[in-house]
Amino acid sequence: MSPDPRQTSGAPAPAGHGPRGPGWVPTWPATVGLLITLVGAVGFAVSFIMDASTQWLGGFLAAALLGVGLALAYWGRDLAGDEVITGPYPVPHEDAEGRAALGDALDDSVEVITRRHFLTKMLVFAGGVFVLSQVVLLGALGPRPKNSLRTTSWRAGSRLVTFDGVPVTRDTLAAGTFLVAFPEGHTDSADSQITLLRIGGDPRFKTLAGRETWSPEGYVAYSRVCTHAGCPVAQYEDEARVIVCPCHQSTFDLMDGAQPVAGPAGRPLPQLPLAIDAQGNLTAQSDFTVPIGPGFWDEG
Amino acid sequence: MSEHRLKKSLGRAFGAAPSPARRAARWLDRNLGGSSILREELRHIFPDSWAFFLGEIALYCFIVLVVSGIFLALFFHASQAIVVYHGSYHPLAGVPMSDAYSSVLDLSWNVRAGLLIRQVHHWAALVFVAALIIHLMRMFFTGAYRRPRRINWLIGLSLLLLVGFNGLMGYSLPDDLLSGTGLRIAFSITESIPFIGPTMASVLFGGDFPTTGIIARIYPVHIFLLPAAIAGLLGAHLGLLWLQRHTEFPGPGRNDRTMVGSPMVPQYALRTTGYFLLLAGVITAFGALLQINPVWLYGPFRATDATTSAQPDWYMGWLEGAVRLFPGWDIQIGGFLLPAIFWPAVILPGLIFTPLFLWPWLDWLAMRDNQFYNVLQFPRQRPGRMAVGAGFFAFLTVLLVGGGDDVFASVFGWSLPVLLRTLQILVIVLPPIVAALTYAIARRRSERWVVS
Repeated sequence: MSPDPRQTSGAPAPAGHGPRGPGWVPTWPATVGLLITLVGAVGFAVSFIMDASTQWLGGFLAAALLGVGLALAYWGRDLAGDEVITGPYPVPHEDAEGRAALGDALDDSVEVITRRHFLTKMLVFAGGVFVLSQVVLLGALGPRPKNSLRTTSWRAGSRLVTFDGVPVTRDTLAAGTFLVAFPEGHTDSADSQITLLRIGGDPRFKTLAGRETWSPEGYVAYSRVCTHAGCPVAQYEDEARVIVCPCHQSTFDLMDGAQPVAGPAGRPLPQLPLAIDAQGNLTAQSDFTVPIGPGFWDEG
Repeated sequence: MSEHRLKKSLGRAFGAAPSPARRAARWLDRNLGGSSILREELRHIFPDSWAFFLGEIALYCFIVLVVSGIFLALFFHASQAIVVYHGSYHPLAGVPMSDAYSSVLDLSWNVRAGLLIRQVHHWAALVFVAALIIHLMRMFFTGAYRRPRRINWLIGLSLLLLVGFNGLMGYSLPDDLLSGTGLRIAFSITESIPFIGPTMASVLFGGDFPTTGIIARIYPVHIFLLPAAIAGLLGAHLGLLWLQRHTEFPGPGRNDRTMVGSPMVPQYALRTTGYFLLLAGVITAFGALLQINPVWLYGPFRATDATTSAQPDWYMGWLEGAVRLFPGWDIQIGGFLLPAIFWPAVILPGLIFTPLFLWPWLDWLAMRDNQFYNVLQFPRQRPGRMAVGAGFFAFLTVLLVGGGDDVFASVFGWSLPVLLRTLQILVIVLPPIVAALTYAIARRRSERWVVS
């Protein structure tokens, strides 16, 4: 770099910069700003001690910051035109000599190492194997998901209970109403939550092939975990007999195997095969016959 | 000679006590050496244009986030152990919830200034990402990414990714219903990746969703790992900026070899300190007056609960929109399943960010121009680039609207399926139209500009 490349250009420090000179600007805005800061700082401390509301506390703190900020910004702007300086940008072609020297130096250093061919290769190989070996540490973070994505807590004979653990019987629901149910003993199982709907004798309901015995006495149950992104499909729309996911508005037709009819879901909500036992309790015939919830690679 | 200078030289001549600044300079030189370098750097040139303060807004947001975040960390418990709430927020009295959520309620309701600092932290994050994006757009439309600043473009984009991701992590920590729902979706998206998805999700979350250790995992990532990475990249970004200096807009006396501006000390330093305090003041005012993320209204996360009108923070809105707009094309391939969500949630971000990262090199290829630039371009000088940028912006804006389609539908009384279909069409049709219009307008303006 040349000795002192920067020069002051334009007018040297303006002569008449004192009070009332040609470049003079009023100082009162900065003074007002600093006064606001004084008030804000004291107000903040007082409102903190008095345990005042967030609005007072934050209002005073904001005023304190804004006041001094305003003063400094104003002051700085006042000085901005004061001194315009120019200087050079660093330009790549200017230091060809230095660049060449750096290249030579690096070349030499690398050569010192690489002339031991065998050692260099061993270093790269051993280093690579070492780095790869550390990947096993990931195994400490979580289990491989063997069957957990395919199974839920439903078993053959599991009784249906509400969130509070109350068993669901054949008399629990009137036609056209629904509730959220779980397998008994697993009311904390997110995978197992179902929407239980009593369709009664609704003529719109289509019984799908192979599911003739799944909906005794007009009770039908679908997984409540969305097949799109896994949110609970929680919005039941009575008239249309559809259920909507509040996350991305996937809409499933409860009268037609919970097929997706709108929104981004691509697969129906799995249906849970139901039965009614001798005591009149609703039970599951088995677990779901397909994996519930959002899709994954080896599900298909 | 001014009166001031006269006094100074008289003082020197008669051996009066040196000023504090002189003593400081002497101390520095004795203990560190190199005072001539320091003296030169005090006069580091900064350009005088508002456009150069956009990046600074982002930098100052980071400072506000670190300071407010340290305060929050003193009160937050990264634990999902179940506690029964008995704090000051009565509607939730007696409700079982995670220790994490309970500690957020406590710091909002019982810690003095806690709610203020929490809201300042959240607002600072929202403004941070906005400032980064506007800063990025300024770089893009004025050609600041050209040689020799390509590497810094990469660093800046990496910062945007890290900051957005850390925002998502922060959104997840309170363990309220919305944050848990966000994690649920993140788990599902991870699961959708071919081959490795299910294992990856299990490894990241520590098992099948919902896991009890995820908050404890996210916490060190949010308060240490990502902030350290952001601070490191910020250091590199600013270090390169310092060495290469700012770009400048075309003007008298300015060219690729000469820079015009004001010296760092005192003009620039005074002003930028003022701007920092102004920004901190505005964000504090937001935190004081504008409620943000009232987690007590959402309730604790339970895997069986859900809420309508659930929205992520605004900067994740485009992704939310993409996930909503993309049709349910689940593909079965010989015993395997490729879920539809894989395309909008995994592939689309890659399709958006890959060309962004490559942009300086694409520009070089398209323009056959590998020159060294310090003077910026005006946006209209490059109608093609303006068209690309505007089309891209239109695409992301439609997605962002899509992220709130249920809210728009209910506020304006529109039919949601119709709105959804309209947005699905717009997201494909609108970007090319906006790009073409922008090109035509920019072309005309640039011709007029060349003529005049």
